[in-house]
Amino acid sequence: MKVLMVDKEKCTGCHQCELWCGTEIASISKELAAAIHETPQPVPRVYVEGKPFALQCRHCEEAPCMDACPNGTMRRDPETGMIYVNEPTCIACWMCVMVCPFGIITPSSSLKVAIKCDRCRSMGYPICAEVCPTGALSLVERKDYRKKKF
Amino acid sequence: MRYIIIGGSAAAISAVEAIRSLDRESPIDLFSEEDTPLFSRVLLPYYIAEELSKPLLNFRTADFFDENRVTAHMGVKVTGIDPKAKTIDTVDNQSYTYDRLLIATGGNAIVPSIPGVEMAGISTLKTMADAERIYRTKGNRAVVIGAGSIGVEACISLTRRGIKTTLLEQLGQVMPTVFDTEAAAIVQQRIEDLGVEVFTGEKALRFTGDGSVQGVVTDNREIPCDMVVLSVGIRPAAELAVQAGLTIGDMKGIRVDEQMMTSATDIYAAGDVAETHDIARSAYFLNAIWPCAFEQGHFAGLNMAGRKTPYPGSYRRNSIGNFIGIPAISMGVTQAESCVIQSDQDEFREVRVRTKDAYKKLVLRNGKIIGAILVGQTQKAGLMSILLRKQVDIADSIPLLMSERLSFMDLLPILRRNADQFSEPEYKELIDTGL
Repeated sequence: MKVLMVDKEKCTGCHQCELWCGTEIASISKELAAAIHETPQPVPRVYVEGKPFALQCRHCEEAPCMDACPNGTMRRDPETGMIYVNEPTCIACWMCVMVCPFGIITPSSSLKVAIKCDRCRSMGYPICAEVCPTGALSLVERKDYRKKKF
Repeated sequence: MRYIIIGGSAAAISAVEAIRSLDRESPIDLFSEEDTPLFSRVLLPYYIAEELSKPLLNFRTADFFDENRVTAHMGVKVTGIDPKAKTIDTVDNQSYTYDRLLIATGGNAIVPSIPGVEMAGISTLKTMADAERIYRTKGNRAVVIGAGSIGVEACISLTRRGIKTTLLEQLGQVMPTVFDTEAAAIVQQRIEDLGVEVFTGEKALRFTGDGSVQGVVTDNREIPCDMVVLSVGIRPAAELAVQAGLTIGDMKGIRVDEQMMTSATDIYAAGDVAETHDIARSAYFLNAIWPCAFEQGHFAGLNMAGRKTPYPGSYRRNSIGNFIGIPAISMGVTQAESCVIQSDQDEFREVRVRTKDAYKKLVLRNGKIIGAILVGQTQKAGLMSILLRKQVDIADSIPLLMSERLSFMDLLPILRRNADQFSEPEYKELIDTGL
C-alpha cells in the first residue's frame, strides 16, 4: 500500500497543500476566490501544524475509526485499501473523531459529517502532492516494519 | 472447526469478520434472539427522531451473512450451553455442537421496580421492538428516566418530533458516568436550550394512570405525561453463562482472559456481556459501549480461529455527537475519586482548562492518562485516547497536551521514548521522519 510521506527537509510549512485541498476537494465552487467566501467554510483534509509538516489520514492497517463507526459509514476501498467516509450515511456521532490517533478527522457541525482525507479517491492522484511547490509530499510504498509472525 | 456465535450485534459481527479473515471455510452458525439482523443499537434514537429510516440503521449490508458464509438463525433463542459436551440447545428443541463458541448476548435494559412500571406507554430503549413501540406511542408529553447517553439522546429525539419532554435523573447531574460536574453543566444547559426540561437529584417514586401511564410522581412533583422511556442502564445478559457454570465477575458480566476466553475452554465472550481488563481502571470492568464490543469481537474472533492475539484491554469512550449542537467526548475515568482500586503509592492528578466555549480535562495516574473530557473542541480527542490506551508517561508534557494547538506531530518525542509500544507502521513511518 502506498502512503503519503513528507520530506521534513523540504516542507516549508507554506500551507499550499491545505489551500488546494480546501479548494479542489472541499469547496463547491472549486475556485479559490469564491471558495473563501463559501458558507460553511470548506474544510481541508490535510493539516500543516506545529512543526512544519503536512499530516493527513494515515489509512491505518487496523483502523480504529472503522471499528468505532456505528453504521459502517467509515469504509475501506477494497481495491486501494484507502479509508473513506460514505458521507450520505454519516450521522455525525463523532465516534471516529473520538478514536483517531492522529486527530485528522474534522467533526463538521455545520455539514454534519466527519471529514477526512480519502487520498483524492475521485481524482486518482492526491492534489496535495501535486501542488507542493518543493516536492516535499510524495506517494511512497509503505515500509514493511513487521517481523514475520509465523 | 465448527464455530457457533450467540448474538447478532457489534461483537458478534466483528467476530465473524475476524474469523473469516483467517478461516474462509469452516461453518459458522449464528443465533440471535432478535428478528431484525445487522441493525445498530446506537442509532435507535435517530430512528425515534425520524432522522433515519429502518434500512439506514444497518451497519452491514443485507448480504453480509451470505457473503461471509454464515448460517444465521434469526429469532432463535439459545436455551442452554453444555461446556462438557460442547453443545448448545435452542428453543425449537434443536441441539448443535461447536468446537469454538462465542457468547455475545449483550445486555438487557434494566426495568426499575417503580410501582406502576408495567403500565402501557412505558418502555425501555434497547431493542428494535422498543424503538418501534416508543415511535408508535401517541401523545405529546414524555418523561425520560435516567440521564445517561441513551436517556439524553432519547429526550432530544422526542423533542425534535414536537413532544414536550422531561428528563429525570436521580443523581445530581446529567450523564453522571460520562462527564464530571463541569462538563455536565455545559451539556445540561444545551439540552435545556433545545427545549428539554431537566430535573436532577430527583427520583421517580411511582407512575399514575389507569392501564396507560398518565404521570410520574417524584419526590418534588407530579409530571403529567403520555409516555415514559426508561433508560437507567443495562445489565449483562449472562444467564446462559451462569447456567453453564462460567465465572461471573463483580459487575455480573462474564469474566474473560486476555484472549477473550471464559473460564471454560473454547467458550469465548465479547461485548456488553463480557467483563474485561479495563486499562484506565486497572481492574476488571464492564464497558458496554459500541467500540469496545467491536474490538472485543475482533480479538475473540482471531483467537477462536487460532491466532493467539492478546486483547490490550478496554476503556470507556463516549461521544454525544451532533445531538446537542456542540461536540462532547469523554473517555476512561471522569474524576480521580471514581477510581475504586487505588493504592497508597498511586498519585492522582486532574488538569483542567475552561474557555468560553470549550472545556478540557485530563485525569492522570502516576503521570499516565486514565481519563479525558473534551467539550467544544474535540478534534484531538483521539490523541488522548491513544495515550490512554498505551499507558505512556506524559507527566512532562501536560502544557502541550492541554494546548489548543496540539497536533499529532508534537507527540513524536513521547512516541519515540516509547517506541516499543508504538510499533504499528503508521506510527513508525512518522517517527522515522526524524521530527
